[in-house]
Amino acid sequence: MTISDETLMAYADGELDAAARAAVESAMRQDPQIEKRVAAHRSLRRKVQAAYSAELSEGVPERLLRAARAGSSTQASNVVNLEDARAAMARAASRAPPMRPQWRTAGTIAASLIVGVGLGFIMWGQTTAPLTRSAGGALVAHGQLARALSNQLGAEQSRSSAVQIGVSFRAKSGDYCRTFALSGAVSPSGLACRHGDEWQVQALTQEPGTAGDSGYRTAGSAMSAPILKSVEAQIAGEALDQAGEKAARQRGWRAAHAP
Amino acid sequence: MNTSETAQNVHEQIVTLLPRLRRFARNLTRDPHDADDVVQIAVERALTRLDQWRSDARLDSWMFKIVRNAWIDELRSRRRRDKVFLAAEAGENIGVDSMASETELLSVQSAMARLPEDQREAVSLVLVEGLPYREAAEVLDVPMGTLTSRLARGRAALQALLGTEGEAT
Repeated sequence: MTISDETLMAYADGELDAAARAAVESAMRQDPQIEKRVAAHRSLRRKVQAAYSAELSEGVPERLLRAARAGSSTQASNVVNLEDARAAMARAASRAPPMRPQWRTAGTIAASLIVGVGLGFIMWGQTTAPLTRSAGGALVAHGQLARALSNQLGAEQSRSSAVQIGVSFRAKSGDYCRTFALSGAVSPSGLACRHGDEWQVQALTQEPGTAGDSGYRTAGSAMSAPILKSVEAQIAGEALDQAGEKAARQRGWRAAHAP
Repeated sequence: MNTSETAQNVHEQIVTLLPRLRRFARNLTRDPHDADDVVQIAVERALTRLDQWRSDARLDSWMFKIVRNAWIDELRSRRRRDKVFLAAEAGENIGVDSMASETELLSVQSAMARLPEDQREAVSLVLVEGLPYREAAEVLDVPMGTLTSRLARGRAALQALLGTEGEAT
């Protein structure tokens, strides 16, 4: 009588129904070899469980407890309110020590950084500033940055361009968006999406602690995790390849309406 | 469906699950820091999506799935970053195995770390977390047959790495 190893494994894991169980048991009685294989499965199961049981009694970091309890006392309605949840996350994020800022909850952080970094940029000097405020109050790319966003192709740019373009992609809204990094002593990176005739800046950060270091940085090192996180949140499908970028540029980055 | 009491309750249930979520995330990521980051992201996500949790579904399976998806997202974003910004960031810890010497008997953990990802996930959900096959298949989004074959291969590989042919300790 042949019984597959998968069946013996399922038997050892308690996954068989009564009939299949009975068949295995009778085979085990007849063939010590089968019994031995079942014992091996059980022994491995016990061994693995034992090896991992200690982890359950480790203390859980405070930041995870906070995340789990965020918003727990506020909900009276039967629907989870997204805004409240986000606010709770933002509160939790601002209290939590920035363990690994590289890829912590990004949206809210990026939004607050926009204010800090962005205003600084606007003040910089009216004509050369890469950012300005549109009439509607949105933060929009200006001057050299705007030109680079409209014209520069990721694959063709020179490493020494003042603006480095990163990923280009279509957002879920249908808008085209591109990430960028500015070189120079203060070198923020950001995400801008084409809206009408403007590149609206959705997120902007400056990687902490790197600004003063040696003047010139590559787009790679300048791309900060919060920006990538914003990309993740907005991207529909994959990033554009070179041909996709070219085609999008040709149509003036006008929104292609998402299905 | 969630009344405020059950919503309240869910927070505490998630707190109770945290040790298991961390353990599962460590098996996925093979890096304790990544694991905690993934768990935090998953918890935050879960809380914004509680309305998607069917109350007849097991909370642990649902959370495992969110943890796994958060990790998949993270890997994807690392790949994207590596692809687009090939500079500087070589040698991410998307990991290749392991330092243990071949001659030593491997610990269960280091043997696990050597399994291919799909087998490691299956072993981790069924043998470590104790999920029934059906739940594990659901977490991984694969048919039962796929789950059992991954599990069988993972177990065979572990047996071989641990050198425990046959007999129980």
